[in-house]
Amino acid sequence: MMKMIWKTAAMAGLAAGLLATSALAADKTLNMIVIEGGDTTAMQAVADSYEAAHPGIKIKLQSYPFAQFFQVAELRLRSKDKGIDLVYVDAPLVASYASRGFLSKIDQGIDTSTLVQASVDAGKYDGTQYALPINNSAQVLFYNKALFKAAGITPPDGLTAGQSASQKQVDELASSKRWTWEQIADAARKLTVKDNGRTTQYGFSVEQFAELYQLQPFGESLGTDVIAPDGVTAEGYLDSPAWTKAATYWSNLYNEWGVSPKGLGYGEAAQLFTTGKLAMFVGGTWNLPILSATSVDYGVAPYPYFAGGKVLTPTGSWYVGVNAASADQQDAFDFAKYLTTSDEGTRVWFKALNQLPVYKPLLDEISTSPAFDTFPQDVFRLGVYDSLNTAKARPVTAAYGQLQDAFRTAFTDISNGVPVADALKSAVQKFEAAAKRVAQ
Amino acid sequence: MTTRRTPVFFAVLCLAPALLGLVVFRLYPIALAVSDSLFNVVRGDTIFVGIGNYLALAADTTFWKSLQVTLWFNLLMNPIQIALALGLALLYVQKFRGITLYRVLFLIPIGVSLPTAVIIWRIMLTPDGLVNGLLNVAGLPAQPWLTSEGLALYSIIAIATWKGISYWMIFIVGGLQNISPEIYDAARIDGARAWQRLVYITVPLLRPTLLFVLVADVSINFLLFAPIFMLTQGGPADSTNVLMYEAYKSGFIFGDMGRAMAIIVVLVLLLLLIVGLQFRLLSRRTEAAS
Repeated sequence: MMKMIWKTAAMAGLAAGLLATSALAADKTLNMIVIEGGDTTAMQAVADSYEAAHPGIKIKLQSYPFAQFFQVAELRLRSKDKGIDLVYVDAPLVASYASRGFLSKIDQGIDTSTLVQASVDAGKYDGTQYALPINNSAQVLFYNKALFKAAGITPPDGLTAGQSASQKQVDELASSKRWTWEQIADAARKLTVKDNGRTTQYGFSVEQFAELYQLQPFGESLGTDVIAPDGVTAEGYLDSPAWTKAATYWSNLYNEWGVSPKGLGYGEAAQLFTTGKLAMFVGGTWNLPILSATSVDYGVAPYPYFAGGKVLTPTGSWYVGVNAASADQQDAFDFAKYLTTSDEGTRVWFKALNQLPVYKPLLDEISTSPAFDTFPQDVFRLGVYDSLNTAKARPVTAAYGQLQDAFRTAFTDISNGVPVADALKSAVQKFEAAAKRVAQ
Repeated sequence: MTTRRTPVFFAVLCLAPALLGLVVFRLYPIALAVSDSLFNVVRGDTIFVGIGNYLALAADTTFWKSLQVTLWFNLLMNPIQIALALGLALLYVQKFRGITLYRVLFLIPIGVSLPTAVIIWRIMLTPDGLVNGLLNVAGLPAQPWLTSEGLALYSIIAIATWKGISYWMIFIVGGLQNISPEIYDAARIDGARAWQRLVYITVPLLRPTLLFVLVADVSINFLLFAPIFMLTQGGPADSTNVLMYEAYKSGFIFGDMGRAMAIIVVLVLLLLLIVGLQFRLLSRRTEAAS
């Protein structure tokens, strides 16, 4: 009895093995992990156009929700999972992945000279290229024109519906008419409406609550980087006078002035904005299709800065890398190359996702083509200006995850009333302890 | 000979699935945690560090703070949960009008899964939520339930208690129904009052049940993770950062598996120590009583 069962099982296994091999021989499949939602839709569009040009190769996307993506990627890469060939990599994680041998060195044959150099450089670790930039990101200030009118205050200079703007006009707007955070605070206080202790209309919010990506320019525009160039020291940086001033402003938004809603989740800022409960928010250009699909009458202004400080704006976005454990390196690199450095791949991606490109011919097109003269397409020209003039990449450190977490914790705590100095000191201590373990 | 051998073989056969489960799902992970805690991954290479991760924990202020939070959390929550579960169980076995409705009401939390319950509570505890709305009606100021250092831990204790006590109540109800009614009748004839019957009859006779509930409840609460993960992520200012969450963060967000496993091993040892102590203390008293 037992023997028979074993025999049957062995034969079934053998048959399954044969079937799998023959399937692979007929059609090569590349697996890619990517974030659920718009990113997957856009990646599917690129995959479709790639498959049409490369018969015999199938791109299979495995998508995960944003909240789980990083953990899944971490676990699967660490276990040398051969079921992944291509990896969607957030810019600041390149160092962390590369330092632990998760990613293959990018094929020297891939020409990156058509890509924005700063973005290419952010895909390097220890001078070696490990990931290729898929797109860039740009942050802007969205404002609700009707709410400004109702409060009787002048909105910032910006791009709005019914107007067109050349790259030159946009450059001028961005270089000389950019609002300061002080102006934002003034306007936000006038735009906040409270009814019987409850806030019915908020003046201002950031899209990504307490996230380093969104808030890095706060302190850095006042003159001090968030951590030291060595990637492990935060003392004297995150707890510097510049960051203390920036964090105090952040604290005031929630506590002293009460103009911002606490702890907004993914997409909630745009939602409050379109329902007229939020007058201004800073967020990514990916909000444009969402806002344009509603009836809200809005304008777009450049990302603010502190008076007397330097203008700096958030930047950096997603990269593609090849899993070091992948059995099919060559084909994986070929798709990565198509996605990031081909005319067709980059165009399909941009059309589907509305994220600022890093492919220079496409950036030139945004600056010069009449198709980008009108609102909201002209907002990408603001992105072009910022990416060339004010963009500040996130710090390169193998302990980026630790930094991001310590930063988020500190700024969430500050919004909840924890004293600024205590929160920053605790963040410095936590980051340095964790970074030391990574860099030992 | 055969008659003697067969029962042994039969017993082993019957126990095998359970023993196998115990080995695969309990002992193997613990062994794995212990062995993983002796290694670190640096630049892609796995390096043997011996007790290095434990020594690092000893000098790690975040770990000590987290241990402190874990102990305080359990010191409060377990007695509260068991006392309330006992109270509920005593009410549950009473006979009065409308008891069925009461019984149904108190069984509802068991039917709601933990994540669902946590999401519902999160909505009710938002600054503009139902709980603050009720406070407002009563003329009291709104409270930052999950966002203040002083309140968040207690909010989580309240939610976990709401979810947990009816489950433990069922065990205690079972224990109560095992106590023979004649003992109460005798006590009543002897003139014992209600509280005397509770202290001198119910509680001592419930001891085996209470021991089980105590050990099981403590084990579950020491490993409680979902409400903290879903509501506060250990904040504000680390006030709800229990060891389970600290280990999770270390291992799954920061990729520092060596430290995560060292924390887990410390947690298991701590739990073994506490459960061992509970067994000793409670069993001894039972012997003395009998």
